[in-house]
Amino acid sequence: MKIYIVLPAYCEDKVIKDVIADIKKEGYTNIIVVDDGSGDNTYKEAKSTGVITISHPINRGKGAATQTGIDAGKLLNADIIVTMDSDGQHDPKDIKGLIQPILNDKADVVIGSRMLNTKGMPKSRIMMNKIANIVTYIFFGVLVSDSQSGFRAYNRKAYTSVYTYMDRYEFESEMLGQIKNSKLRIQEVPIKVIYTDYSKSKYKHMGSFSAQGLVNGVRMVVRLIENSLFK
Amino acid sequence: MLIQILVTIGIVILVLPSIYSSYKRKTITPFAFFIWILFWIIGLVLIWDPSLIDFIGKALGVGRSIDALVYIAIVFLLYSTLSQRIRINELSKEITLLNRKLALEDVKQEKK
Repeated sequence: MKIYIVLPAYCEDKVIKDVIADIKKEGYTNIIVVDDGSGDNTYKEAKSTGVITISHPINRGKGAATQTGIDAGKLLNADIIVTMDSDGQHDPKDIKGLIQPILNDKADVVIGSRMLNTKGMPKSRIMMNKIANIVTYIFFGVLVSDSQSGFRAYNRKAYTSVYTYMDRYEFESEMLGQIKNSKLRIQEVPIKVIYTDYSKSKYKHMGSFSAQGLVNGVRMVVRLIENSLFK
Repeated sequence: MLIQILVTIGIVILVLPSIYSSYKRKTITPFAFFIWILFWIIGLVLIWDPSLIDFIGKALGVGRSIDALVYIAIVFLLYSTLSQRIRINELSKEITLLNRKLALEDVKQEKK
């Protein structure tokens, strides 16, 4: 069984090596890092670990990098593709639980949901996720507990049926719409989120001000409207 | 009127030199240069004597011709913005696909 872990990475040279090492520790050695035009040493650091490292010459956003990673997995004939954040927020120990419904043939796509156990999650993020879930439901008719989770697993049927065009974070919602249209079976499993000092500093600008959730929700709506108008 | 003077100064100091500079840098064709210059000269004349196009307003049933020009300009600008937005969106998608193609070349090489 060929399981490929896809890590879309942008300016993560401080942590990418550790993230890869932690994934390898769990027994997953097929790792694809997509350096999304980082200006730092992300590519070099990832490459030095011996994993498949590819790069976008220009930064295009998380959505674009994830789809490139999925395409790479497709080229390598993966049985299952798991997408994860590259900043260390996702616990590689959760991969096992994430792919289990696919191995049991109970689902084609599995979403690792942060919202099934929100312990330790900042309130602003909870609110942001809830707004994103509502927006996703309005635009794509799919209601899940964590529509923006980047920790997902796809079987071959799933990853060959979907292809996202949205370059930024909205691609997670777009993907859900395509999953629904392709009549794929979807399941959610709880995952842990690790809020390290590093990941917190990345989102420092969001602070604990819950109105930020609203602002991001509005931004997402604008981009979704734009994309639905100019496809 | 002050507004007529300000707009005239704006056109003469900013717009016309910018068109000439584009022509010198060969970013616009001689034909485009001629059309733009003609367009702005007509604009300048109309700023000083809008009554010259009164017949347009009468023909379209709009009180003043200048109003008709404003309506036409708004429609033109909206159309122009929309088509540019569509083009930018297309270009953005093409850039992403090109990026992806370049990135996947390494995987194809490794596969061989």
